Amino acid sequence: MSALKSLRRWFIDPQFSRKKHFLRSLEIFKDIRDRDVGQLVAALHTRSYREGEIIFVEGDIGRALFILESGSVELTRPGANGKQVQLYTLKPGDFFGEMALLESLPRTATATATEKTRLHLLYKSKLDALLLAQPRIGVTIMGHLARLLSARLRRMNIDKALQSANNA
Amino acid sequence: MPEERRVPFLTGFVVAGVCLYALYSVHQVLIPFMLAAAFAYILNPLVTYFEARGLRRGQLVVVGYLGTLALGLSAYAGFKSIAVYEAELLQSHAPAYLQQVQKFATVEQAKLTKKLPLPPKVAQHVLDTALNGAIESLRELPSHLFSLLPLLAHALLIPFIGFFFLLDGPAGIECLIQVCPSRFVEQAIHLLSEIDTSLGNYLRGILIVAIAITLASFLGLIMLDVDNAIVIAVLSGVSSLVPYLGAVVGALVGGGMAFYQFGSFSAAMKVVALFVGIRLADEIFLQPVIAKHSVHLHPMVFLLALILGGEMFGFIGLLFAIPAACVIKALVKVSWSWYSSEPGLSVGVAQGAGVPYT
Repeated sequence: MSALKSLRRWFIDPQFSRKKHFLRSLEIFKDIRDRDVGQLVAALHTRSYREGEIIFVEGDIGRALFILESGSVELTRPGANGKQVQLYTLKPGDFFGEMALLESLPRTATATATEKTRLHLLYKSKLDALLLAQPRIGVTIMGHLARLLSARLRRMNIDKALQSANNA
Repeated sequence: MPEERRVPFLTGFVVAGVCLYALYSVHQVLIPFMLAAAFAYILNPLVTYFEARGLRRGQLVVVGYLGTLALGLSAYAGFKSIAVYEAELLQSHAPAYLQQVQKFATVEQAKLTKKLPLPPKVAQHVLDTALNGAIESLRELPSHLFSLLPLLAHALLIPFIGFFFLLDGPAGIECLIQVCPSRFVEQAIHLLSEIDTSLGNYLRGILIVAIAITLASFLGLIMLDVDNAIVIAVLSGVSSLVPYLGAVVGALVGGGMAFYQFGSFSAAMKVVALFVGIRLADEIFLQPVIAKHSVHLHPMVFLLALILGGEMFGFIGLLFAIPAACVIKALVKVSWSWYSSEPGLSVGVAQGAGVPYT
């Protein structure tokens, strides 16, 4: 029995299990079957960024979704006076650039690593290939993205209505 | 302060040119490494499949190699008697083959001399020249075959080097992504992904075709009771790595063998028909599946790539000509995609975007 356990330990990749566990903890992937998460892990690219390193600049064409494993990332946009205005600071477990999975359009903000950061990149064409091979994964991810988009639009509508009411 | 690093385009271009020239200068040394890389690249999806189930890559590769070795030894033990029999048969019949060819050529030459609308002496001279040329080519055949011996030596070296390529797996790509300037990471992955999609599918496709042609030829030749079926099938399968060559080689060698063995044109024509059938089946059933997932090349580009590859690097050039053309096409495709997706060049608005969210 212990020999079997040793053999299992020899074969099982602990890093892979850790990565899989991390992905399962994310809202966007939580409904994906355990076996399918493995396929997703294989499709990811990982990259480390130094403090202050730019991940992408506003106007760059988006082609990947970024998942923050460790460190932090700041999203900024130029304000009215031309200075960069901080929009949001992302923490481990957050993801950004998700709209690149729907369409390759210019990024609407600049992303910068504010400390030593480790990101997982899910490239659009890799995801497309995975969706064709495993439609179940695609339905889950796209369903989640649609809900996210809907929530953001709803909030934007409420904000706009509140702003109009205040102005009146 | 955000950091931004830029590599001047011209410097990159010059460095890439110098690197390519340096690689060309030492290409003979690089051949086993290139073949091993292709070998590992073809097998990699199998490793990735099990890796995606949480197994360690290193262990998978070691177990895979040991398993293949055991399988190879069992297959060798099974086929040994047939292979030895075929080798002995080929060796004992070789002088008779040559004699038969010479006899056939002499008889046909005499017939043609009478039929040609030329004075007998001129016709004789023309046919003598053609025959001498053909015999000269046949004499040079052993030296051509010997020139392929270094490639056979690579047959052991390729799995050995390929083992290390397979062990590293995507680590090299990840390393490349890590050293790539951060702002260009998305573009780098885009490029690698395009190349991987077209090249990977093409290479795996031709390997499937080669195996299918080998098996189909072997079974067909056995059914037609042609001698040296294994040799002809393997020759045809290996030749099919160069597009369209497999069926031609199979039909010529197999047809010749059947003609000698049975002494009739109809036997040779049956073998030719077998290879035409195999080629058609490949075109109808396999090629559509392969072409669906890999880059489509215009026939002219296809031919040009083969001629250039053969001219520059010989037989190895023929093998790598189409994959190289696939890479170049992917580069052009990605460059165009980057150019056409630049802000201001194409702005697509989804239908119904103006309707308020309700």
